[in-house]
Amino acid sequence: MKRTDAVRAAVQYAGLVGVLMILILIFGFASENFLKAATFVSIANQIPDLTLIAVGMTLVLVIGGIDLSVGSTLALSAAVLGVLMADRGWSLWASIPCCVLTGAACGLFNGAVSVLARIPSFIVTLGMLEIARGATKVVTQSQTKYIGSSVEIVSEPIAGILLSPAFLIALAAVLGGQFLLSRTVFGRYCIAIGTNEEAVRMSGIRSAPYSITVFVLCGALCGLAGLTYTSKLSTADPNAAIGIELSAIAACVIGGTSLMGGRGNVISSFLGVLIIAVLQTGLAQIGMTDPMKQIITGGVIVVAVLLDAARMRWSDRKR
Amino acid sequence: MYRALAFCTLLFVGCSSNKQDASVTAASDTDKPTVALIMKSLANDFFSTMEAGAKAHHQAHADEYDLLTNGIKDESDLGRQVALVDEMVAAGVDAIVIAPADSRALVPALRKAIQAGVVVVNIDNRLDAEILQQEEVSIPFVGPDNQVGAKKVGDFLAGKLSQGDKVAVLEGKPTAFNGVQRKLGFESAMQDAGIEIVSSQSADWETNKANTIAASMLSEHPEIKAILAANDSMALGAVAAVKSAGRSGDVVIVGFDNIPAVQELIRERRVLATADQHGDQLAVYGIETALEILGNRDAAPADVETPVDLITVESFAE
Amino acid sequence: MPDSLLSLEGLTKRYAVTVLDDVDFDLQGGEIHALLGSNGAGKSTLCRIIAGLTPPTSGSMRLDGQVYSPSGKQEAEHSGVQIVQQELCLIPTLSVAENMMLSRMPQRLGIIKQGELRQQARIALDRVELGEIDPDLPAGKLGVGRQQLVEIATALDRQCRILILDEPTSSLSGGEAENLFRWLDRLRDEGIGIIYISHRLDEVAQLADRVTILRDGRHVCTQYTEGLSTDEMVGLMTGESPAQHSAESFRSYRTDRVALRAENFSHDQVVRNVSFHVHEGERFGIAGLVGAGRSELLRLVFGADSADSGSLRLGDSGSPLRFNHPHEAVDAGLAMVTEDRKSNGLLLPLSIRFNASIASLASRFSRGGLVRRRAENETVSDVAHQLDLRCRDLEQATVTLSGGNQQKVAIAKWLVRKADIFFFDEPTRGIDVASRRRIYRLIESLAAEGKAIVIVSSDLDELLETCDRIAVMSAGRMVATFSRGDWSVDRIMQAAFSEHMGKTA
Repeated sequence: MKRTDAVRAAVQYAGLVGVLMILILIFGFASENFLKAATFVSIANQIPDLTLIAVGMTLVLVIGGIDLSVGSTLALSAAVLGVLMADRGWSLWASIPCCVLTGAACGLFNGAVSVLARIPSFIVTLGMLEIARGATKVVTQSQTKYIGSSVEIVSEPIAGILLSPAFLIALAAVLGGQFLLSRTVFGRYCIAIGTNEEAVRMSGIRSAPYSITVFVLCGALCGLAGLTYTSKLSTADPNAAIGIELSAIAACVIGGTSLMGGRGNVISSFLGVLIIAVLQTGLAQIGMTDPMKQIITGGVIVVAVLLDAARMRWSDRKR
Repeated sequence: MYRALAFCTLLFVGCSSNKQDASVTAASDTDKPTVALIMKSLANDFFSTMEAGAKAHHQAHADEYDLLTNGIKDESDLGRQVALVDEMVAAGVDAIVIAPADSRALVPALRKAIQAGVVVVNIDNRLDAEILQQEEVSIPFVGPDNQVGAKKVGDFLAGKLSQGDKVAVLEGKPTAFNGVQRKLGFESAMQDAGIEIVSSQSADWETNKANTIAASMLSEHPEIKAILAANDSMALGAVAAVKSAGRSGDVVIVGFDNIPAVQELIRERRVLATADQHGDQLAVYGIETALEILGNRDAAPADVETPVDLITVESFAE
Repeated sequence: MPDSLLSLEGLTKRYAVTVLDDVDFDLQGGEIHALLGSNGAGKSTLCRIIAGLTPPTSGSMRLDGQVYSPSGKQEAEHSGVQIVQQELCLIPTLSVAENMMLSRMPQRLGIIKQGELRQQARIALDRVELGEIDPDLPAGKLGVGRQQLVEIATALDRQCRILILDEPTSSLSGGEAENLFRWLDRLRDEGIGIIYISHRLDEVAQLADRVTILRDGRHVCTQYTEGLSTDEMVGLMTGESPAQHSAESFRSYRTDRVALRAENFSHDQVVRNVSFHVHEGERFGIAGLVGAGRSELLRLVFGADSADSGSLRLGDSGSPLRFNHPHEAVDAGLAMVTEDRKSNGLLLPLSIRFNASIASLASRFSRGGLVRRRAENETVSDVAHQLDLRCRDLEQATVTLSGGNQQKVAIAKWLVRKADIFFFDEPTRGIDVASRRRIYRLIESLAAEGKAIVIVSSDLDELLETCDRIAVMSAGRMVATFSRGDWSVDRIMQAAFSEHMGKTA
């Protein structure tokens, strides 16, 4: 039993790791400076926000929902952090809980409205996308808030391990998210709800509290992403993370999460984030023109999903 | 201020499908002319200062004209800005002062406005001369010469570097005229000083995108000594990239626009210089030009060039 | 009869089981020919074959003396055979006119000619006196009865020689039905052959020229309606009771303790003021025709739908209560094996283990929110063994199992949960004979353990074989309850039809 588990895990991640390796090799050949530590440190520094959001998005997609408001929620949380630290002079440690709670509150709104009023989450979060962005501009008075070094420690590498707290937070979210999904009762219910909510109901389980909690978790993760984003740039930017929901959904889809719900894997989504980040960095390093960057990024998303589908068919046949 | 804010919020919540930030700062009065100020993204500091300047000016001259200010959600939402022009014409304004989101796409809409008898003044981003000619309209441009401003910043930077050094440029949106002008200004300054530009890529005016691209530039070309950003938002991204690459103090950064966040960085000496084109006054210059034309409709409208100042740590010395 | 419009010979249809066995049938032009039989007698299958919706396994059909073997519905329509099925097939968002003309839109270069479309629909509606229906209205805005009439009007509008109506009056009001009968009379006069399926025996007696009666997929007889009473019809449908064979082997585990007492449950005319009770160790069957409200009753008691009225008591003690959500029912020890495994019984793409443990995770297999995988595996594995589940391993997706094994997983879920009161809704539908036996034995062993069991089934033999008592529902009411020993197939069927025979019988 243990061995088959290990084999299954290896097969599950093999395709994505393969794509990642191929990309790294291609860029390694195309650019003499790609295969250097500096590149990978830079990638590790870029990805915490997208990773945190992709974890939340994976959970939401697993229950058969979607959250389009992640970018705006990130920006609003970041704005709260920026105003508290830059204008009110709060300390980082006092501001972080407010930042995360802001995200969680947005998530609570999304979850409560979509679950209790039975409105598709697509629509509710589309509304939240506008509401939170507008609120961001109100909070910041449309000004970029420069915070400075007090917030930077979150994204500065810890001496000795070369990794920043932001990266470690993101990594912890990935591992925690995967553990939640695969080992806990909560995770089981999420998968079941996304597969067939009516069957879950007839099994004597109330789905509403679990669905709402997932949206709250996603919002809180957006709040954390607001922290890492702000810390990376030392500024709270009212225009932060516009369009990041599409990158996050792309990462999840590359990782094999079903948009119909019931299937998803947080580690695979993280591999999806890595693929996107390597592409972005690699294409910028070889100085590709902007239109070509877009064409290639889109192409890689489609190819990665095709490969994943082929892998699934292959492993189904093997069983 | 709070009331205006509250009003903004109300408007936003009340019609979230209506995506512009709008605020009306005047009671309509038939005697006074109404001037519509149409801007790019109000989320961008540069334009929000501009709006604030215009409102202050209006308050001081409230008996002379009425002011309507409008902006679009983000700088690439061209369609919305074109629609705003039509809406303002329909609202019966006397003059439109506009910072076009695109130097070409807005021209036909503005031609229609002029044909409807509205005075149009172009600020900030200069409309494309060729298209203006094609459309057979002349619209006075009130604003700074971006190329001259960028050259000033570039020259100041060149003074800190030596011949043969290598630098990188973060461009604005390739479709924006002022972005192209700034890039040309940077390029001519570097050429004069014998400094090589080893990489020049667009980061679409955005902080986070600039961060990603600057980080890649730094690892691809570890030898670069400076990054020239075509606006301050991108300069912020470059600062963060330099920091995370552990190259602070080693790679110099310059920007453009003089936004408050960058002023602080200049004081901390993490940004070397930026250019101030007096954004808060830009709209005011435009409004004054528009009022002048309204007062004397026979005179041929002429361009007005406004000053661009170099901002360095010395600027804050006093 | 040499000049039959349609004649069928030796028609047989087998799925997993034989649903139609060597059936002969003929239809004359200008006749209304009713098809009668209890649930699962093969009426609908026969019609589906004639309409080209499904091919026969063997046998031959002749239309006007020519060999007739339609490859699909379109070909059957081309030959002049139209069917109006029991389920509504209109697309609710399209207009009535668009629905009626869906397969033959008047168009030029792909653009619909709206005027012509409306006019043609208008004519078709007027022909059947549906002048008050607006062809521009979205079909979904019409009541169910009206929708059915529109479907019938659509079928009549096409060139047809044979019209098949499957339960056309089930959702019509009295007036609408009278209207329908008038058109049918007129069509008969025009020489069209009509095959008519209905549970409403009074209608059949009034309308049909001949009846053909099917039982268990076999042709029983074809008779002229004149001189045939509705009681005689029921007798022919049920035949001799086949129930004796299991009577001796039956063993009751019924105790005196009442496990559940449901009182006065009502909902929307579908379930009307129904009360029943079930004892510990008892197997209590609910028989009735399709649509009598049996599944709906179970769902109301289980809290899956909200009842207009009704309350229940568990055990001897306790105050009356009503479940608002299935989780309350499950917490109180109830379990429901649903009729439709796909839509609400199982999580089909997920594993056997996942499905079997889902209802018991919180109560049995968790510690501090974490799943105790080992305990889960052991328990599920035990139950799978106990049920004789045929699978490769417990990680196999349930969708890949046979129907019978899927049903075992659905039951396993509640065995793992250790429920006390089991509701089975059509427990053996679509299941092969061997698994069926296995499930009967399982139900018996549950009774032996003192569980209370309620079984809804359309297969009367199943209830006769397994139950201590059988209640009968008809048109939403519980009309009779029989104990083992004083029931007969005849009496149960009489009861099942009782609410439909009111006027004439």
